[in-house]
Order: sequence, then C-alpha cells, then structure tokens
Amino acid sequence: MTPRSTRARVSFVVFTVLALTAVFVVRLIDLQIVHADALTAEADTKRTLTRVTYGTRGDIVDTRGAVLADSVERFDIVISPRVTLLRKDASVVVLEDLTKITAIIGGDPTALLTMILENPESDFEYLAQGITLEQFHAVDELDIAWLYFELRPERSYPNGEIAGNLLGFIGTDGPLAGFELGADECLGSENVEASYARGEDGVALPGSSVEALQPKDGGTLKLTIDRDLQFYVQQRMAQTAQALGATWATGVVMRVSDGHLMAVSDWPTVDPNDFQGAGEADRGSRAFANPFEPGSTVKALTAASLIDAGVANQRTQVVSPYALELANGGGVISDSFYHEDQRLTLAGALVESSNTAIAQYTDLLDASSRRDYLHKFGLGESTAVKFLGESSGKLYEASEWDARTNYAVQFGQGLSTTSIQMASAYQALANDGVRLPATLVEGCYWPDGSVTDTPSTEGIRVVSQEASEQTLQMMEMVYSSSGSAPNLQIPGYRVAVKSGTAQVAEDGGYGRKVVISYAGIAPAENPEYVVIATAGIPDSIYSGVIASTFRDIMAQTLTTYRVSPSGSSGPDLPLRW
Amino acid sequence: MSTNVAYAPPQPLQSPGQRPSHIEIVTTRAQRKARPRAFYAVVTVASMFVILAAQLLLSIVVTQGAYQIDSLQDQQKILNRSEQNLLESLALQSSSQNLAAQAAGFGMIPNATPFSLNLANGSVFRLPGSADPTGCGGKCGLVGNTLLAGMPLVSAEAAAAAQVAKATAAEATTLASAGTSSSTAPATGAPEAADNAIPAPVTR
Repeated sequence: MTPRSTRARVSFVVFTVLALTAVFVVRLIDLQIVHADALTAEADTKRTLTRVTYGTRGDIVDTRGAVLADSVERFDIVISPRVTLLRKDASVVVLEDLTKITAIIGGDPTALLTMILENPESDFEYLAQGITLEQFHAVDELDIAWLYFELRPERSYPNGEIAGNLLGFIGTDGPLAGFELGADECLGSENVEASYARGEDGVALPGSSVEALQPKDGGTLKLTIDRDLQFYVQQRMAQTAQALGATWATGVVMRVSDGHLMAVSDWPTVDPNDFQGAGEADRGSRAFANPFEPGSTVKALTAASLIDAGVANQRTQVVSPYALELANGGGVISDSFYHEDQRLTLAGALVESSNTAIAQYTDLLDASSRRDYLHKFGLGESTAVKFLGESSGKLYEASEWDARTNYAVQFGQGLSTTSIQMASAYQALANDGVRLPATLVEGCYWPDGSVTDTPSTEGIRVVSQEASEQTLQMMEMVYSSSGSAPNLQIPGYRVAVKSGTAQVAEDGGYGRKVVISYAGIAPAENPEYVVIATAGIPDSIYSGVIASTFRDIMAQTLTTYRVSPSGSSGPDLPLRW
Repeated sequence: MSTNVAYAPPQPLQSPGQRPSHIEIVTTRAQRKARPRAFYAVVTVASMFVILAAQLLLSIVVTQGAYQIDSLQDQQKILNRSEQNLLESLALQSSSQNLAAQAAGFGMIPNATPFSLNLANGSVFRLPGSADPTGCGGKCGLVGNTLLAGMPLVSAEAAAAAQVAKATAAEATTLASAGTSSSTAPATGAPEAADNAIPAPVTR
C-alpha cells in the first residue's frame, strides 16, 4: 500500500458520498420549494375527519313500562362527488349505480346524478337520509365503492297518537313540545367525537383515531300514564267529540290515593311521528294549557266549602226560583231551564244543579273565605305537574269580584280552570279533603340506577273529612236521582258525580256556546279514581249528552284496576222539603 | 586482499527440487486454549436468528388475534343493530292500535262481562267491562298511528275480507281495511261496511 493508493481510495469514497448528498439536496429542494404547492394540494385529500359516537336519548315509558317514545337508528348515505367523478366514464357508471340504489330506497336517479354533477368539488353530499336498517343492508350489498354510510339517531313513537299530547315531538333542530322539550334534561344525551385520518377512498386509516370519553346516555322518563287506559279514553273521547260535533274534548283520569294522572286525553290530538299532520293548536295538551269557565262542576266545591265552614249542611233549605234578582245589584241569575219555584235542600240543589239555589247559599259565607276555599282546591294556581305551556287559569281576588262575579264563581262562571285543575279539586273531595299534588311523572331513571325528579307527596288540607264525605253523599244523589241517572249507572258500584254546563264568553257576552262536562268519583264509599270528561262547544247544550261517556270511562277505569264493587247501597238524602 | 577471517565458501544454490525450509510460528498450548471456539459463535448467531424468528411468529399470531377481535367486534355491532331493529319492530307490533286492529281482524270483541276473582277470599265479582257504543273498537282508527300504515293483518279471514273490500270500495270515503290507517282526520265519516260482517268468535 502506498500513500498514493490510499489517498486515491479515500478521495474516491469522499467523492461518492458528496455525489449522493448532492442528489439528495437537489431532490429536497425540488420537493420543498419547487413542487411545494402541488403537493400540499394533494395532501388535502388526507384530511382528518371526525366521527361522532352518539349517546342514546332516553326513552319515555308509561307506568307499566310500555315504551311511548323510543330512540332508533337510521342511516344516511353520504358521498363525495369529487371522488365519485374520478372514475372513468363517471356519469354512465354513476347513473347505473344510482338506478340500483333508488330501486331500494326510492327517488329519482337522474335527479341525484344532477345533484352530483352540480357539486363536482364537494366532498360531502347526502344521497339519502334516514333509511332503515333493511334498506341499509340492501344498499351495502350492492358493494358500490363510492358510498359511505353514517348513523343517524332518530325518535320513534310506536304508539302513535296515544299520549301524543303529552310526549311532544322532535323537529329538525331539536325537541319542540311536550316532555321531549320540557324533560330534555332527563332525556337528553351527549355525543362524543373522535378524529381520524382518512385515506383517499374514504377509508379510515387504522390506528389513527383518537377516542375520547364515553358518550352520555339520557335517562328514562317514566310517566304515571297507563297506556291502555289512555288508549281507551282517547278513543272514547274521539267518538264522543265527533258524535256531539264538539270543537275540542278532554278526558282526565286521576288516582285518588296519590294524585297520579292515569290518563290525560285531548281531542283533536297529534301523532308525534307526523306532527305536521296536526293543526298547530292541536299539538299540545288543551287539558293543561287551555283554561275555560268550568260551570256547575264547581258547585260541588262550593257545597263542600259551605259545609266545612259550618254554615250549611246537606239539608239546609232554600226556595229556588227559575230567575233570581240579586240583592246586591248584580242583575238576574237564572237556571238552565224554566221551572216553578222549588223548595230544595243543598243536596237537591246539586241534583237540580240550580244556579239560583247556589246563589242563595253563597250569601251564607263571605267572599274572602269562599275565595280561599277555591284557591285551596287548586284553582287559579298551576298544578305541581309544571307541564310545558300549562296554564294556571284565572281566579280573581275576592276584592276584585263585582256584584255578579261574587255569585257566579260559586257555580263556575267568572273564573277559568283547566281540566287538570278540576280533576285535582275533585281528588281533594275524594281524598277526605286533602288535596295531593297532581303528578304526571314518576321519575327520571338514569342508566346508573339513580332516580331523580320524583314527585312531592305533600298534601294540603282543603276541607274536613266530614265535609268531603257529606259532599260525596250529595253527589251520589246526583248519580242516582238526576235526569241523566239512567246514562250514568255502573251496576254494583256507588258513584258520585256532578255535571257541568258552562257558558262560553264571546265578544264580551254569553251566547249559545257551552262547555259541557261530567266529573265523578268512584267507588263513592272508598274513592279510588276521579274521572272528568269535557267537551268544548258541542252541538247540544245539555251536559246529559256526555253522561254516558263519563260512565264508560269510569267503567273502563274500574275494570282496568280491578276495583271491587261497593257492596252497599248509596245514601238517600232528602232533596226537597 | 586477504584477511584472517575465516569465511565459509558460498554454498551452492540448492537444486530446484529441494523445498526451502520454512520457519513457522507455532502457537503455544496456552494460546490455543485462549482461541474462541467457533461452536459458540455459531450458537449465538443461530439463537439470534431463532429469537428474531420467534418474535416474527409472535407478532403474526398477535396480529391474527387483532384481526379476529376486529371481525368479532364488527359482528357484534351488526348483531346489536339487528337487535335494535327487531326491538323497534316489536314495540310497533305491541302498540295498542295494532293489537286492537289485529284482534278485531280475528273477530274478537271486548269482553262485555268480565269477572274478577279475589284471591284473598275466593269471591268472584263482576267488573263493569269495556263499553264500545259504536262498535268501532280497534278498527276505526280513531287514535291514529302513522307508523302502522300498511301493517298487514295476521288473521286469514281479515286478509281475505281486505282483498274483497279493496276490490269493491275503490274511491270510498270509508277507512282503509287492509290495515290500521293513520286517520288524523277522524271526521271522514262512518264506520266501514265491514262492520256488519264481523265473524263470530270461534271456540276450538
């Protein structure tokens, strides 16, 4: 080895290394500076996308667990027109595929093709939204490379219109009415997003997703409603409303022992699956939201108040004319039909539903006490349900009562209530004079087992037990002796009822329009259920036409809950003297 | 010049036939013992290869497992979806409207005289029953359900009656008889003609 040969080898190696480095440097400059923009553009195809993991919205169930509102999975077909059109002969191939797809999901393939061609640069377009699992499988089997699918959670109401007035519904931007909106805190879920890198054909690059926390599922909202009873009541009220030519109708069934609402029916009502099929006024619950002057059903509350105050009893006597001139200048009050002067007891006044008799009884107690009783019965104050859009009705202060209102409130005009408030007042009469909070929600049951939103059970003493018992006995006389008695009979059971015909104010005066109702409690000797059936502006002005509806609903309620018959006969109070 | 030094006369060159004598450096025994054995080197390299091979195999097996897990998770997702779909279908078929319509299709009517047995004392009492004054029951669609549109009736008689009704009642104002229709406008009128044709319940 000579120094020269050594130097030669070394220099040869150095030269080679330098040459290679130069090649790399040139390539580097080429990539980073010369072709930089083009390559960056190409890199846009490898965008990071987010994939959403959905939390499940909670169900709404009835008191027995039947599902009233359900979260279901649907699918969207999503395409990237830019990628779709990369194919050779794109239009032809795409149209063929679209024809196959629309054979499954319906639609017009040429219209879809137009949509694709109009957005050639877009990376995200919907081909179809909300297809079912079967359709999804069928389209998936077509094995079309340029489709991809996204999950779309939707809401389904398997029982249609049953309790539709209470459940509410969900629009494109979220819940719009009823419990879906009002109980959103219980039902609502939270989604979680994961980001991942996507290859050019849309496939997620494995290992590139970053999973975040678990999504939050909503809780199950359990209502006090009994779906089967609700179905019957809705059906019966619909039949009634149609037969009577009414504008609206409500039916309420409430359990006496705890104030739970077993059925709250509205007519016309809404099917939450298709809420736009219902008129805007029909999408909520009139039973909660639309107060009306209740009419003669208030007379039972008046009687109870008078007895509790000790100023009257079942046999207190009055002479009731057809028309009575009010002493305080309030004008003339008359009964619903002409009759000779009648010598009535308080029981007889309820059976005849005589306004003039009640007006005379009204003088036995001062206005402020009477107003207090009405308030304790729950009138003028919204119920504990706090339903979305619930109305508190209107009960003016006693000091604001004019000469006529002073009497009119005691037979149900000059104040306004909702059907639910009347049901709650009758629940007080039925429950030995203690009014319990009206309850529609049993609770919100979370996935982890905890329960929130349970109702309050604190009652308010309205009248004494004795007063409520005596009132119920008088109402049993209405059941047995009033003109509608033949249409009210439920063999084997003692029932306490009161009818109501209330005039509807229009343009500052009262015309021929009425709201008729029948309210009742059974079994009378040991009350378990309150039923109120109301029809707004029917063709007939006689409450008797709704008596059989009340009877049918009460019969169904007693059958549903297997209530034992009364085993004793009703009282026989003197109605005249 | 002559010297006194004795010197050997130059040896004649050896003939080419004779080999020159080599001088070898021979390793001592100690040095031989210190030499690394080839055997150990072979073992080391071989075991390195074995380890690499084992690692490769393990990695293949693990990846295989991962693919299996992925495939099972996929299956689970698909089965979950099917389950949800079936539950949804079940909820729909359990809806009160569907049950009432299917029952009516079989000619069933609500029990007019239901009795109840008090298990505590064995007494039997009669319940008021379900009144259905217009005889409409489950067939009139007074309480609609748009999801049930097109739901077929299970009973054979009802299906046959439906065919007949469909064939004859072309543009009738009566309600659809091939299934529970979504009557959100109940004012469309009277119960359908099939009311008179309810077959009597058959006891087997």
